[in-house]
Amino acid sequence: MPTVVIASPKGGAGKSTTAILLGTELAHAGANVVMLDCDPNRSLTLWADRGPLPDRMRVLSNVTESEIVKTIKQYDTDGQIVIVDLEGVASRLVSRAISQADLVITPMRATTLDATIGIRALQLIAEEEEALDRKIPHAVVFTMTKAIRSKQHSGISSSLAAQGVDLIDPPLMERSAFSALFEFGGNLRNMPAQGNMNGAIDNAAQFAQAVYKRLAGEV
Amino acid sequence: MTEGKPFNIDLGRLKSREKDRSPQALEKVDRAGEELGFIGRDAQKRRGRRPSPRTGQVHAKVMPEVSEEIANEAKRRGVQQGVIIEEAWALYKDKSGN
Repeated sequence: MPTVVIASPKGGAGKSTTAILLGTELAHAGANVVMLDCDPNRSLTLWADRGPLPDRMRVLSNVTESEIVKTIKQYDTDGQIVIVDLEGVASRLVSRAISQADLVITPMRATTLDATIGIRALQLIAEEEEALDRKIPHAVVFTMTKAIRSKQHSGISSSLAAQGVDLIDPPLMERSAFSALFEFGGNLRNMPAQGNMNGAIDNAAQFAQAVYKRLAGEV
Repeated sequence: MTEGKPFNIDLGRLKSREKDRSPQALEKVDRAGEELGFIGRDAQKRRGRRPSPRTGQVHAKVMPEVSEEIANEAKRRGVQQGVIIEEAWALYKDKSGN
């Protein structure tokens, strides 16, 4: 089963939120999911400690640079999807995790700073593809987007698309329910209502479906 | 889409690709990363013995046999001689009612 690596050297881009939304939605749809928390801030672990984990999910904490490859190998087996949440820095841990990915997702806020720093992850993927002589599928998802698209968002989006970067549609919007995952744990379906819950659930589910299509080779 | 399962997953369509996990491949990956500033940031383990918290000193001359007995007892227990003196001092304070 595939390994999905959530990578961006930019902190605060929404990596952990993206990982949790993807993991919980895939688990809800019937997949077994193993989440690897490689971030020293332990965001995934904090989320996991907040409430009961959804069915079919496991979270492993404190996976380090020296352990990442063998840990992915251990869980990259039939019957489960591995999701790796990385730290928001340029580190060897990031480059090693990317080398083991079936899909790399780079979350990016629609700002010039996020795009500038996030692009370094795409450069690293290109370098690794050359070094390993293997295609590493990757895509960008915009995070914390607003209902009305900003000019900056449109500009960055067009620029990335022109460079052949795969943009995941829909983007993950800025929603109180997404940030509340770290308050209540669990998934969007079992937390107390936060704002427009149906909108949040639809957004997360459609995002997970778009990722699934990539993993299944439909995109 | 909010009701029930949002979409069906066909687990049979989700395949993991073969990945090269050899030391040579990892070395290539590390080198490619380092050129772009993706360097090792794991905390390095400290080498050698940690510095002792016993930084105070006493300047005591004792009879040779007492010195030898303290040294032997410390060696037997695998502790510093200062530990023996600390324990003796604790006993003295206890006996003195301090």
